[in-house]
Amino acid sequence: MLKRVLIANRGEIALRILRSCREAGIETVAVYSQADREALHVQMATQAVCIGPARAADSYLNQTALLTAAQATGCDGVHPGYGFLSENADFADACAQAGLTFIGPSGAVIRRAGAKSAARTIMREAGVPVSPGSDGPVRSEAEALAAAERVGYPVMLKASAGGGGRGIRRCAGAEELPAALREAQAEALACFGDGEMYLEKLALHPRHIEVQILADRQGNVVHLGDRDCSLQRRSQKLVEEAPAWGLSPELRQEMGEAAVRAARAVGYENAGTVEFLLDPDGEHFYFMEMNTRVQVEHGITELVTGVDIIRQQLRIASGLPLDLTQADIRCTGHAIECRINAEDPAGGFRPCPGQTEFLHLPGGPGVRVDTGLYSGCPLPPYYDSLAAKVMAHAPTRLEAIRKMRRCLEEFALEGFPTTAELCYQLMHHAAFVRGGYATDCLDAHLPELLDFARSLTESEDENA
Amino acid sequence: MSGIFAKRRARLLAMKALRERYVPPEDAVSCPQCGQDSSHRAVAQNLHTCPLCGHHFPVGAYYRLGITLDHGSFRELYPKLTSQDPLSFPGYREKLENARRTTGLNEAAVTAVGTIDGRRCVAGVLDSRFLLGSMSAAVGEKLTLTIEYAERSRLPLILFSASGGARMQEGILSLMQMAKTSAALDRLDRRGLLYISVLTDPTTGGVTASFASLGDVVLAEPGALIGFAGPRVIQQTIGETLPEGFQRAEFQMEHGFVDAVVPRQQMRDTLSRLLRLHEKGGG
Repeated sequence: MLKRVLIANRGEIALRILRSCREAGIETVAVYSQADREALHVQMATQAVCIGPARAADSYLNQTALLTAAQATGCDGVHPGYGFLSENADFADACAQAGLTFIGPSGAVIRRAGAKSAARTIMREAGVPVSPGSDGPVRSEAEALAAAERVGYPVMLKASAGGGGRGIRRCAGAEELPAALREAQAEALACFGDGEMYLEKLALHPRHIEVQILADRQGNVVHLGDRDCSLQRRSQKLVEEAPAWGLSPELRQEMGEAAVRAARAVGYENAGTVEFLLDPDGEHFYFMEMNTRVQVEHGITELVTGVDIIRQQLRIASGLPLDLTQADIRCTGHAIECRINAEDPAGGFRPCPGQTEFLHLPGGPGVRVDTGLYSGCPLPPYYDSLAAKVMAHAPTRLEAIRKMRRCLEEFALEGFPTTAELCYQLMHHAAFVRGGYATDCLDAHLPELLDFARSLTESEDENA
Repeated sequence: MSGIFAKRRARLLAMKALRERYVPPEDAVSCPQCGQDSSHRAVAQNLHTCPLCGHHFPVGAYYRLGITLDHGSFRELYPKLTSQDPLSFPGYREKLENARRTTGLNEAAVTAVGTIDGRRCVAGVLDSRFLLGSMSAAVGEKLTLTIEYAERSRLPLILFSASGGARMQEGILSLMQMAKTSAALDRLDRRGLLYISVLTDPTTGGVTASFASLGDVVLAEPGALIGFAGPRVIQQTIGETLPEGFQRAEFQMEHGFVDAVVPRQQMRDTLSRLLRLHEKGGG
């Protein structure tokens, strides 16, 4: 087993990793930027090293500083968390070269799963359904038109090397395609230095369902069930639930098995997530992408399966085989997660970092809160705006919703606006309570939810 | 510090009050009679009538049986009977398939045996969502079988009608159902069994001209359109403006075609009383 692990991250995930390390008797080294001096993960770690100024590029993304800190403190492992360098293949390789165990898949695997067009080909060959589209890259306008004609409009043009919404164009018909192809290609060339494009059919109103997997070095792969992450605002997840609502047992099993096949196809190791799009017909699902790291919403899977995913990551990275088989994994009950972000919904979700003046967290059975905040601690403006994750676990979905309502009623954070109240409203909204919502659900209902919040504030002002 | 929790408590209460008053746009039901919006929940609690003006919204067959028969007494009769396309009428098959998919029904009629306040009876409903509740050969056959079931079991019969009339796509076969159902009701009548006909919006065409008008007692829901030809056709034919409320349930009661207009909330009690009065030694 690893002896000392450097946690190359901050905030709640750094704390989450730290907790599992401590339970496993592993010493932890926290890293922090100058802005995070007072952060909780710094206070809790065995030791802490300052790695640079506030800007992420100078600190948490600074590979040299991280590797130097790991070697200077005598670490034998590096946990990247999510975001920052977690899916950076070069960093994984650099760790390996420096004699450190990167807690995640190898650089080669990250590259294989990350190249979008190549991943589609690998998945298709492994028998994982991919959305209809071009077989491999499209090289010319004529080829693109032919492929689009075959799968039917609307289609998405995507850069093979793409990500973060760059090099992507949507086409509703053949007349738009040539111009879109030229634009997207130019953008991809400018952003990624690679103009290779591929094309896929655009699913209208799909659901975003992902499957958590664990794979060890010995070649054992299991999946830990699915999560529904369809409640998104501009592709930013806000509320997640596990298991996904309304999947037939056959479909659920099929998706789980497809995820395991996908992991095997790229020779995966450690914890990962296979993301699928589920067609509104509720029968067809398509491979979207693979996340080669632990995810923000891993906690709800931990609640329903009782498996400590971070602990499993540490075990796998230490070279131990999985201590569970697929038959051991049972999903019980239903779990919901609400992300409390330091954002102002009324102000176009502008990030609102600030000082945490007061913080009270909900408790009770089946409740879990992951946060890096405490009363009096600042939330710096340089990094992402996640303030806390509130999770509720109960035997049924409806009970979990009720529990989450109660949790958000107890939750009190003073100092900056958050999305807590929006989440609370969502827990009462028919579209959520009914279940089976698609990825466009939140964007469609947002004006109405914001109207509600506005009239609430107005009625409060009248009474005041 | 406790000020924070007091403030939160006030805001949560305000939110709750607002939530209860709030009618989300997709849940609002607009009443065609008074034009006002009510929440779907309020309308449903009011047995799908407008809580403000009492307008009766159309309801499905299973819902109708659910609010009429005793809880748990429902047993459906002949559920698998369904229409064929005897004339190979263009587009009919697709229409049938579409109606089956959207309503979940096999046919426009649903019939069942059950109890009302413990008194056994046979009940049938035409569902206006299924091709406007029109009478096909299958509907006629189902109703005839149901009438014969009541006759055989010596049970009173209640039929709720809501229909655009005969189903055009089945031509003469559909028209023949008028005679068939009427003949079956005649046999029921000779056995001295009670038949209550309840007319709901709309009851027109061949259904009015056959079993719907043959009840020993004919009840109607408020505002229901009851007639043979619709008001528009009559207006075009005679070239005169029709009086206000023409062919509505209240109009038909004044003219002796309907015995009583009964709001949906009182329908079950009325039926229960009628069954009690007509039972052996009842009254």
